[in-house]
Amino acid sequence: MKKINPQMISVAVCIAALIAISTEANAGCQGFESANSNQVEGEKLLAVYCFDCHGEGGEGGLNLVGLLEKDNFDGTFLFENLITAKMPPSDMEQPSVDEKRVMLKWLAERQKEMAQNSFRRISRHEFVHSVNDLLGTNLNMADEIPEDRGTNDFDSDRRIQLSKEQLVSYFTVADKMLEYAFPVDGFPEERIWITNKLKDSHETYNLYVRDYKDGTLLSWTRANNGNSYSFFFDNFEPPVAGWYDLTFDAMKVGAFEGDVSVQIHAGKYYYADDRPQPQRLLDVISLGNRQLESHSVRVFLNPGENVSVHCYSQHTYRKKNPNQGAYIKQLKVRGPIQDQWPPKSYPIVFGELPLKSSPKPAQNKELEPTVVSGFQSNLKKIGGNLTVSSFQKGMEKEKMQDGSNRTFWHTRFEPDIADSPHFVILENPRQVEIEGLSYATWSGGNGNGQVQKFSVFVSDDGKTWGDPVVEGDLEIRLANEQPIPFTKPTTKRFIKFLINESFSLDGRSLASIGKLDVAVGWKVDHPKNKVLVDSTSSDDLKRVIRQFAVRAFSSDLSDNELEPYFSLGLSALQENQEFTQAAKVAMKAMIGSPRFLIVPGEHSSSSHSRVAELARILWLSVPDDELIGLSNASPVSAEVLAGQIERMLSDEKSDRMIDSFCAQWLNLRSWRTIAPSLKLYPQYDDLLNYYLPMETTAYLRHLIREDLPVVNLIDSNFSILNQRLAEHYGIGGVVGQQMRKVSFSSEVPRGGLLTMGSVLKVTTDGFDTSPILRGAWISKNIVGTPLSPPPEEVKAIEPEHGKTAATLKEQIEQHKSNPACYACHKSIDPYGFALENFDATGGWRTKYRVEKPHRGTFQFRLDGYYDLAQEVDASGEIGNQEFENIFGLKQALLLDHKKVAYNFAKKFFEFAHGCKPTLNQRIDLFNLIENDPDDCRLRDLIKKVVMYSLAGEEK
Amino acid sequence: MNHTSRRDFLKFGAALPLALHSLDLRKAMPKRTTPPRRVMFICNSLGFYRPNFFPSVRGDLSSSKYLAEMKTSNKLTVFQNLFHPGMETSNHDSEKSFLTGVPKPESSSFSNSISVDQVLAQQIGKETRFPFLPLSIYDRGWGCSWNNRGVAIPPMHDETKVFDKLFGKEDLLAKRKQIANDQHVVNCLYRDIKTLEKLSGDVAKIDSYRVVIAELEKQLEHDAFWLDAQKPVVANTLSTNVEFAFSAKIKNMLELSKLAFQTDSTRVITFSMDWIYGAIKVPGATGGWHTLSHHGGKKDVLEKLIRIEIDIIQHVNKFLADLDQIKEGDGTLLDYTTVVLGSNFGDASNHTCNNLPTIVAGGGFNHQSHSVSERPTPLCNLWLEILNEHNVDVGRFGSGSQNLNLLSN
Repeated sequence: MKKINPQMISVAVCIAALIAISTEANAGCQGFESANSNQVEGEKLLAVYCFDCHGEGGEGGLNLVGLLEKDNFDGTFLFENLITAKMPPSDMEQPSVDEKRVMLKWLAERQKEMAQNSFRRISRHEFVHSVNDLLGTNLNMADEIPEDRGTNDFDSDRRIQLSKEQLVSYFTVADKMLEYAFPVDGFPEERIWITNKLKDSHETYNLYVRDYKDGTLLSWTRANNGNSYSFFFDNFEPPVAGWYDLTFDAMKVGAFEGDVSVQIHAGKYYYADDRPQPQRLLDVISLGNRQLESHSVRVFLNPGENVSVHCYSQHTYRKKNPNQGAYIKQLKVRGPIQDQWPPKSYPIVFGELPLKSSPKPAQNKELEPTVVSGFQSNLKKIGGNLTVSSFQKGMEKEKMQDGSNRTFWHTRFEPDIADSPHFVILENPRQVEIEGLSYATWSGGNGNGQVQKFSVFVSDDGKTWGDPVVEGDLEIRLANEQPIPFTKPTTKRFIKFLINESFSLDGRSLASIGKLDVAVGWKVDHPKNKVLVDSTSSDDLKRVIRQFAVRAFSSDLSDNELEPYFSLGLSALQENQEFTQAAKVAMKAMIGSPRFLIVPGEHSSSSHSRVAELARILWLSVPDDELIGLSNASPVSAEVLAGQIERMLSDEKSDRMIDSFCAQWLNLRSWRTIAPSLKLYPQYDDLLNYYLPMETTAYLRHLIREDLPVVNLIDSNFSILNQRLAEHYGIGGVVGQQMRKVSFSSEVPRGGLLTMGSVLKVTTDGFDTSPILRGAWISKNIVGTPLSPPPEEVKAIEPEHGKTAATLKEQIEQHKSNPACYACHKSIDPYGFALENFDATGGWRTKYRVEKPHRGTFQFRLDGYYDLAQEVDASGEIGNQEFENIFGLKQALLLDHKKVAYNFAKKFFEFAHGCKPTLNQRIDLFNLIENDPDDCRLRDLIKKVVMYSLAGEEK
Repeated sequence: MNHTSRRDFLKFGAALPLALHSLDLRKAMPKRTTPPRRVMFICNSLGFYRPNFFPSVRGDLSSSKYLAEMKTSNKLTVFQNLFHPGMETSNHDSEKSFLTGVPKPESSSFSNSISVDQVLAQQIGKETRFPFLPLSIYDRGWGCSWNNRGVAIPPMHDETKVFDKLFGKEDLLAKRKQIANDQHVVNCLYRDIKTLEKLSGDVAKIDSYRVVIAELEKQLEHDAFWLDAQKPVVANTLSTNVEFAFSAKIKNMLELSKLAFQTDSTRVITFSMDWIYGAIKVPGATGGWHTLSHHGGKKDVLEKLIRIEIDIIQHVNKFLADLDQIKEGDGTLLDYTTVVLGSNFGDASNHTCNNLPTIVAGGGFNHQSHSVSERPTPLCNLWLEILNEHNVDVGRFGSGSQNLNLLSN
């Protein structure tokens, strides 16, 4: 296969252009002949090299003669085939370097590019990162703003317009973030809680935890439907939203190899069972220590959430060995954390202005820990008590109030049955406002006595009850707590819960309750420390607004421009508001301003606009002080810019860019929507789901930080793995869940993006793999093969793995029989074939799995429900290169690093710029690529593309 | 001001709690002469298997496998042979054009126009707390509703949040302050736009913002107006069945729609039943809905797909029956609610968009159970007719140039 001559395009000219970026922006296209002679020459050359096959009656359905007769044909397809040397095929006569240049230039010049907006709205991610940086906060609020990417590839797409809904949510989120940074009632005081009490679980799962020494021993628990079952520390509730340090005193118990993982979740307690638990996985602790040690994680918690833990290690199946697992002695919670006092947001926004604040809150050692181990019902807390219609010995009324649903109240059935009506009366002697009741059945047992219908009455004297305030049905056999809200709160002294109908196996009149408590509206009063700016000066306020505007808008604004914001802030100050609150109003307006929400903004100099652009591309944010300082001082030279790009890529804020770029370029954003079938892939779990996409971003980050060659995108002898991922990939000797660089031998099919579980999973539906989808994914995202949409009226069938059907490959090879299909599919499907050795979770396979039919409720089994079917055939042929399997395909792809680098450059350009590069720009981008694969390095390429993109703004 | 008093009246009407506690208050209110009319659009983005959907015997609903069991069969019409001209075939982008009729949604230069539900919302939405309610299954950010600039309106997919928005308690004092504050902010931004106009040569850029801030300003006014009216008090009847999360989602969204109509919280609802590539579970089948939709006529694949479609139809069936149980004016809520169930795909298996499966139910029309157009007829004619029926006179809508009286003949 002939390669493009290194001298083909004047690389030197282009690099020179980059260095002279501020003076000669358009230099990249110099050195070519005028458009006119290009046209004649270009058409002629096309005839010479292409018409043999693609003349009239052309091959692959492409008739160039007919195409050229059309005035406005889209030449992208021809251009891309030519520039990536896909065409003419390697066994045909090749155009010379100069000839090729002429053809490309001609195609680029004649192309009618779609008009692009000169501006775009910032994305929700850019919004949140920017506001975080402006305020010194660290909040993840992007999920509260609607996704507006639509079906576009990149968030930055200029075709996306700002909508009212988007603006409304920006206003709302701005309020929340400002309130978090400068709370009107002050910052909740930092506290420490210590607990070792786990909430009772459904009896099925109580088997998997037991008291051990001073705390709890946890065992691996996969619920009946395969979900990770977790146990709640429900005695700690975060009083406010904020960052908390969770410290677990814990150790591994057992002699086996490998660490035990403790997954830390936050969520609402979900009593029952097998169901997916709506929880957030916050972090993972890897336990390798056999002595107690403290393991800390910093997490963000919201009020109403509890911390829960799930233990992961298959060695801890306690039925086999009762002394294996994760021992957690206690959980210590500290928070809400303020890293510095006064909080960072004040110096960032208010600079040196003096503050009025409460005395510095107590430091760690001075904080008195609150031990939260006992349980107190709400009714107890408000000084109330209970009476019941009757009770059975051992099942007294207190059992409804002890925090456990394994103990319960039951009406009398021995020696005789208590007659109905059965009821509970709750007394509220302090006449606290009560919003409703909370009911739960008792867990386990035969269901006898569970309440089906109830009425609630209230009374001043406990004698006259009047009409019910609420009536309704309750579900039996449901372990969750069932709230019974009143239509309006009551302060009456007596509340009667009357049982109208209850479940009974044998028709006897029985009633039982696991939990009955009152719901009260009041919140625990948490001491707060107010921090206020000690000023009433309008000049101070103006200065604060100006400084904020410089950072938010990346511009020096005149008084005239700032006037609306000044007057908004000043009138708030005059209305007798406090300084900090007045500043917040003005900041909100600036965050809602078109100067902030639409880019490029209005900048006072080209340096300002350049650093703004740079910060947006590499940090998804606003420029920091250093960048602003640079743009104030003097015009930013290309050298300085290059240095800044280096600095910014080394800053951890560039992780945002890497995560975001991966999510969009590789489509990892749709990652979480696909849950693999647990019948076929029983090993798939939360932990794997958590780490797989991390591998991809960590790998890319490593390539960028270390400036490794671009060919690493295709193959390498290492990846960034941990114990769980290594286990999934069958790589031994990796202990612990910390992500680290792991090298492996050449027999391991991993290394590079194509064989990462994340990528392999995102192209499936969780059951079967589709070589067509995977092939199209590689064509589009890695190799950059131009594709045209399928012809009309073609039956699209998803091929199926099966025992009796034609082999998968035969099904797909039907494409060959239809030339219209085959023209494209011969460059798509083979990539997918090579990946057939990887299942829908990215695991290695040599045979397909076929789901076994099964009746009744699904019960999770570690060995799944499948039979092994046909052998995988992963061979194919791409561009005259035959391959046996993935190893061969990688070799074939490595032959042309420029193709991969060129595609990467185009994608990064689009990510940065918000539109696809024009054909002229593509020639420039291609010129940026080093000819020697060893010299073609990822960070260098990103740097060049960013500089090129910035230069483009000047045009 | 006449206009205001009418809205004031409606506002307090809407504030009536569902619960019967306030019977006295209800007596005190002047009686409405005719109940308001509502409209709902449901788009099943992966279509329906047509041989099971359309009646095999012309005019006989009981010959449709899916529709034979419809409880409100005398109040619905199945339309056959409707399509969007210019997009006989397309891909999944066709969902964008379902309520707009703009051809070539798959093209990179596609720009959409206003969807029929938004035209209605602009006209009849002013009179309720929520001018319209866009719903979806997943968090995708777009559905079938598009504003007058062709920008997608993000639907709500979290039923708890929808319930809270419709019926949740609010701190009215805080909200009043908030609105006043935002109005100051908006005024400030208007002033800055004036400066920017002088400063920047990019008119399009400033206009793209001005139009949005103007919409926000209007919404603030609307919200301020509804501040003194209490939200209706409604019991939360949403299902929390997470085993059949897909089923429960559809059930809940329809339940919320019922409650929203019943309390007159809104009069226009659009439910975009979008899809993801992963597997879903309904009683009797688990599988990737999208993968199954490309059944290619295979029997075992079809069986699963049909289970999913039956599940959807059953929920709609119950929804319609529920509406028909609620008394409204001289009839039922269904008689005053036009419900459209349709799809952007005629046959998702090969991505064709002709003969779109479409049902119109309720709305007080003289239903004919099965209406077959002799020639392919633009779906937009039906949209136009629905607009006309709700006193919206737009002349034409998309490819719909004339009201063919599909519903009223």
